[in-house]
Amino acid sequence: MWETLKKCPRHLLVCEKSSFKSTNSRHSIHVQQHYFNYRVSVLIPECSALPQKLDSIVKDFGSYYLVKDVPLHKLVCEEFITTFLSKGSFYALSCSTRIDQDNAAALLPTGKLIISVDKDTYEELGLEGQSSRYSHKTPMRYVISMDLTASSFAPGGNRYKRVMWALAEKKPLKFDFLMAWNPSDDRRANLISYFSAYQLKEYQPSVAIKTLKDIECPVLQSSDLRATSAESCDAQEFFDWQGVVFNEIESENDSGNFLSTYCCPDPNIVVDQATLCTITGFILPEKIHLLLESLCHYFTEPKLTPWAVLAVHGFADSPVTWREDEHGFHKGGENLYSFVVFRNHDYWLQMAVGANDGCPP
Amino acid sequence: MAVFMDLSIQSVEKKKLESIIETAAHLGYSAVAVNHVANFEKETKKEIAKPLCHEELFEGALPIVQGTTKPVKIVTRLTIVASDPSHCTEMRTTSQRTKLYDVVSVFPKTEKLFHTACLNLDVDLICINVTEKQPFYFKRAAVNAAISRGIYFELVYTPAIRDSTMRRYTISNALALMQSCKGKNIIISSGAEKPLELRGPYDIANLGLLFGLSEAGAKAAVSTNCRAVILHGATRKTAFGVIYTMPRDEQEDKRETTAPASKRSRTEAV
Repeated sequence: MWETLKKCPRHLLVCEKSSFKSTNSRHSIHVQQHYFNYRVSVLIPECSALPQKLDSIVKDFGSYYLVKDVPLHKLVCEEFITTFLSKGSFYALSCSTRIDQDNAAALLPTGKLIISVDKDTYEELGLEGQSSRYSHKTPMRYVISMDLTASSFAPGGNRYKRVMWALAEKKPLKFDFLMAWNPSDDRRANLISYFSAYQLKEYQPSVAIKTLKDIECPVLQSSDLRATSAESCDAQEFFDWQGVVFNEIESENDSGNFLSTYCCPDPNIVVDQATLCTITGFILPEKIHLLLESLCHYFTEPKLTPWAVLAVHGFADSPVTWREDEHGFHKGGENLYSFVVFRNHDYWLQMAVGANDGCPP
Repeated sequence: MAVFMDLSIQSVEKKKLESIIETAAHLGYSAVAVNHVANFEKETKKEIAKPLCHEELFEGALPIVQGTTKPVKIVTRLTIVASDPSHCTEMRTTSQRTKLYDVVSVFPKTEKLFHTACLNLDVDLICINVTEKQPFYFKRAAVNAAISRGIYFELVYTPAIRDSTMRRYTISNALALMQSCKGKNIIISSGAEKPLELRGPYDIANLGLLFGLSEAGAKAAVSTNCRAVILHGATRKTAFGVIYTMPRDEQEDKRETTAPASKRSRTEAV
């Protein structure tokens, strides 16, 4: 029994390397398919302030809205589909709902609505769904997904009527939603006016820029993920080090420090200063893509540092991680990825998920 | 998974109970059960008290569970501490007093009562002693019979917080129970008398690992199994878990009618 106690809940870390110049590089697809992002952190060593271009992107991340007590049928009705879904990407995620205990809902920009419900709600709702992949003995959680832009979901059809009846009359579900809207053309449908009947508040993502002094940075070789020679750190050690830096944990390994005995992996060099920028909010993948491209262009001019890091964290209570892969919360709901961008336009992509999650793509 | 629940908060005086429930809601428990203990071990013929009405607590404004927008749910629970089956006639028939409680449990002190409770008694929970060395062994037949009837076994963790000797007994009794029941039908609850004795639900799920449960089983012990206990208690008020009765609106009866009672129509539309 003591052997089982030594194990911790399973987690997965997938590391891959590629180059931005390669034609079949999938970096934009990876960024685009991780729909719900909570925090973006950028670390640039040997840099005292955020570069001009990055700074302007960070300041212009766009706003998001928190709308309270929205009945779910409002996101399914014909008016909503024609006003928003066919004219851009609409992101909506239920707020203050815990994925392992309560009902949660998410509207993906592809037009799919994912509702994750507990057993009682599923049996009362009357819509067809699949049992969650992360059930213990009896299924206690069900996932209902419907494609709102499909031809079978045309307003007036049987499927549409059934869904509207279930969501509006049989078991009305209401959530507080975090919403963001990225229109594809200039004629913007106004989100504020559409949801004017509900309590709506606009937010800007909060930005914190900090300059770190005298930090130890691991030495990396872009071609060598596993550090076969002793001259560089391997990807897993570097991933742990990223967590330490982004959370500003002390890594001195003082004898008097009871909180952290972490040491920077060898080999490392001490860097005078580094810029750490953290953006928190409901962040769209399109903006992250801009940030990544800009970070890539940062290295077109010669720079002291051989690498820079962009890390993105997803919501712990989101029903999906990448694409429509189901996300569960066992004891932690982490789903995150980080790009390590090298001077020679190579990159490492590290994706990590927790216990109740499938392997990232 | 179901919401997290703590099915054993000791019924103390009002202000203290309010602070315990508020702490439980802050820690993430969506439902709590206030436990009234009736000790039949020493005194027979003792009256079971009426449960505390939870509308009186917090004057109706229940604390919100952290991380959600819903208020915490409070249910009532009765625990009968007994050593002889003859003390427990209350539970065999549908006694007037036990009907008022949502969850009924028994704390058997002897093997005979444990056996009777597993096979015959109309209870939802059987409490397992954690404060002293178990005087009897858990027979697998009795435990399996209880599992098939839908009865759950409860382990309390606050004695382990208070004293190190009790910590040993808690773990050894829990491991002995695991060998008989193989990790099925277990719930872990607090038995808290003070707000500081409560622990968060994920910490209790980790404690379940020490007791020998699997990862998913330990989390279920604080969530899914507790939901099953409350549903089992709710079926006691129904017929076979299918039909339930509710009191008719009293205002209809107060209507004035000129005809005497014997001449009024016998069947009325409900």
